[in-house]
Amino acid sequence: MSSTAIANPVVAQRRREERRRQLFTNKSTHMTQKYLRRVRELGDSLEHMEPFLDVLERIYVRGEHVAVPRGTKTVGTYCVQVPEELVYAAGAQPVKLCSGHYTAFSIGDDVVARDACPLVKAVAGFKQMGTMPAYEDCSLMVVPITCDCKKKIAGLLSETTPVHILPVPANKEDEDVEQLVEEFYGLASVLTQVTGQAITYESLVGALNRTGYAQRELSRFLELKRTTPGLLYGTHAMAAMNASAYLGGDDWARAMRSLNDALVRRAHAGELVTRKDLPRIMLTGSPIVFPNLKIPLLVEEMGGLVVADETCMGERGMSDPVVPVDASFDGLMRALAIRALRPCPCPTFADNTQRIYRLRQMVRDYHVEGVIYHVLRGCLVYDYEYRLMEEELERLGIPVIRLESDYTDQDVEQLRIRIEAFVEMIKLKKGPLRAMRS
Amino acid sequence: MTSKRGVVTGLICVAMALIAYYAWNLSFFEYESNIYTTTADRLFTLDYVARLSPLLLIGLLSAIGIVLCVVVRGRMRRRDPLYGSFASKVGVRASGPAAGTHTAGAHVAGTRIAGRRPSAFMAVRWICMAGSFALMVFGGILLGTRFAQVSIPVLSCPANMSQLTEATCYYLAHLDELAALPWTGIAAYVLSTLAFVLVFGRMLCGFVCPMGFAQDVMHKIRQATRVEGVAMTDRMYKALVPIRWTMLLLMIGLCFVGGNFCNFCPAIALSPVAAGLSVSLYASGFIMVFVLIASFFKRRFFCTICPLGYLMGLAHKVQPFRLRKDCTACTECGACYEACPMGIKQIYTERQKSDVTDIACIMCGECVRCCPENDALALTCAGRPIYVSKRSRVVEGYGRKDHE
Repeated sequence: MSSTAIANPVVAQRRREERRRQLFTNKSTHMTQKYLRRVRELGDSLEHMEPFLDVLERIYVRGEHVAVPRGTKTVGTYCVQVPEELVYAAGAQPVKLCSGHYTAFSIGDDVVARDACPLVKAVAGFKQMGTMPAYEDCSLMVVPITCDCKKKIAGLLSETTPVHILPVPANKEDEDVEQLVEEFYGLASVLTQVTGQAITYESLVGALNRTGYAQRELSRFLELKRTTPGLLYGTHAMAAMNASAYLGGDDWARAMRSLNDALVRRAHAGELVTRKDLPRIMLTGSPIVFPNLKIPLLVEEMGGLVVADETCMGERGMSDPVVPVDASFDGLMRALAIRALRPCPCPTFADNTQRIYRLRQMVRDYHVEGVIYHVLRGCLVYDYEYRLMEEELERLGIPVIRLESDYTDQDVEQLRIRIEAFVEMIKLKKGPLRAMRS
Repeated sequence: MTSKRGVVTGLICVAMALIAYYAWNLSFFEYESNIYTTTADRLFTLDYVARLSPLLLIGLLSAIGIVLCVVVRGRMRRRDPLYGSFASKVGVRASGPAAGTHTAGAHVAGTRIAGRRPSAFMAVRWICMAGSFALMVFGGILLGTRFAQVSIPVLSCPANMSQLTEATCYYLAHLDELAALPWTGIAAYVLSTLAFVLVFGRMLCGFVCPMGFAQDVMHKIRQATRVEGVAMTDRMYKALVPIRWTMLLLMIGLCFVGGNFCNFCPAIALSPVAAGLSVSLYASGFIMVFVLIASFFKRRFFCTICPLGYLMGLAHKVQPFRLRKDCTACTECGACYEACPMGIKQIYTERQKSDVTDIACIMCGECVRCCPENDALALTCAGRPIYVSKRSRVVEGYGRKDHE
């Protein structure tokens, strides 16, 4: 019996595939577990971080589905330009699918072009293996055409999933806003077709109020981080931001609210997780997506503190609120389009000098002492902007290093040496005595 | 494309000039003899109500015009493959909760954006506008005509002799009559106008002008009915510049070629009629209908082409009320530009200067109200901030249920 099964090439092929999938799942859960452990071991026992870490564990380690109310469809999104409000308004739940997974990356490496960025390789890897419910459940994926890699991954994804591409203008003039408003109307009708629920004025307002709640809690969170340094580890903040990808509805906002309340209590009691005088580092550059938290982890394990996070899967992604000015349906659509276009310092825009000002503002607000400019291998647009940022930071007298990394553990030691040297250098700059004492 | 737009703008300018010149031939509502004053005992009588009829007529015509525009656009939208499925929501009023949309849990519905809380500044502005409207209509009856020598540069029509003050616009449109005044009259006129302009600048447009008030009321009506407006782009604002220059030229020059700008000016159809005077309306009645319709779809449309406002704006370099910007705090999100009724773009593109007071700025504070960045924008008086942008003002109202 068994010999015939093995002799059957189709069955044998299927078994091989299954084994391969099992191996992939084992490896990828192991990798995620390792990073979750490192995040937890940072030394801060804040139980209000648990909802965020728990959802990451459920999605990546236990392979659970994204928790949605019964009968709700999920819509996968990439990049910050996709308006989550429209997804909610159509009765679906958005799930951010940009990935930072090393095991998926190694699979995707064989699927997409060699010089493509690891983020899309990881996405392609998950899609190739078909083992991640978060990806497989999506009724639709919305891929904005920001950089070339996103454009090509849209084509690749559409082989297996319904994909809607969202062209994003390369400029921010009034005509570009009009164009994006049109694109959003197009997206809205696609979403209504997918969910079968109409986007009405009321549902759009409900969606805006919902994301507004998250926005409000994020604003509180950023304010707390700004005013009281050392309240929590930057890595934890980044993990919490990443968890928003899988925590829909009001769940993320509620978790954030209890975290904020805990942080307020902590600030009043004067309990800080780190000393106040640690080198204050800002992270910027290519997206840092869970579980690829090696850089913030290394910074904080080496005695630095990630105070500010300007990456798009981190705080920047949500930090600009939608500002509804006009109460009409079209006015709300315009507010969404303006929010997706104008404040966004994504380097895929042709002229992105506003990122310089964003940088300057964050350096001022968070009292930043050093900047780590992260470039994912193959992420051209961020690499282009390094020169501009370096020049600006030189004017401000803030040291900066460019760290190029890939979705692999192999460059960790190299990164560790450079980050350690950078952190030590800032310590020395702050005062040689203090550096010697620590 | 550009030349086509230029031709259209040019034609509009010529048409405006012709209408203005022959304004008295276009009779909107004519009286046998005009009465320019009123007394307290005449107020709120049957006669007064009868005298309001031109204003009611204008209101009716505007309402018909607006409904026509909405219906026509709604029909066009419904045929549009892109907007068609949303046309019912773009129409006159968003219907009640649509049936069957509340099945899934991810779906929440609301009727009001909860984020923003009412601000004291806006309350003060509305009280100012409503109060000054009352004064510009009945001020002379309530407080006497002791301020009659004071000229205030707003479009409160001086045909109403019973308003609190004189308005600058009359002698500006009749410079020949100004020259015929005794020198004390000229001095009082010039000095009071200059004082107002130098102290307040176009803040008067945002806080005092009755025309501005009427337009803001139209805007409020649109917000309440959620009718889609007309979003102007910077190109459209640019196309309005020649029209504004034509208005200015007509206002100042018409008296020298035998015309009378007052027969063209829409302001005459507002405060004198509201005061119950018998003032014949010529082209201005039609223009007022147009202004009300336009300001319904585009907030403060007339202010963007107002000749008097433009002249007042010349004081923007010296006036003590200023708009300040912290260019580092600004994220160029463009919320201020979207909110600005005057379409001032540099308010969000400016990256060097801390002073973004513009010649068109009417100090309405909408930009500050909508700015989500702490301290990025501030209305200041003599260097002191009176209204400063705050993130909390934009987002604080969200999720309030959970916070209580």
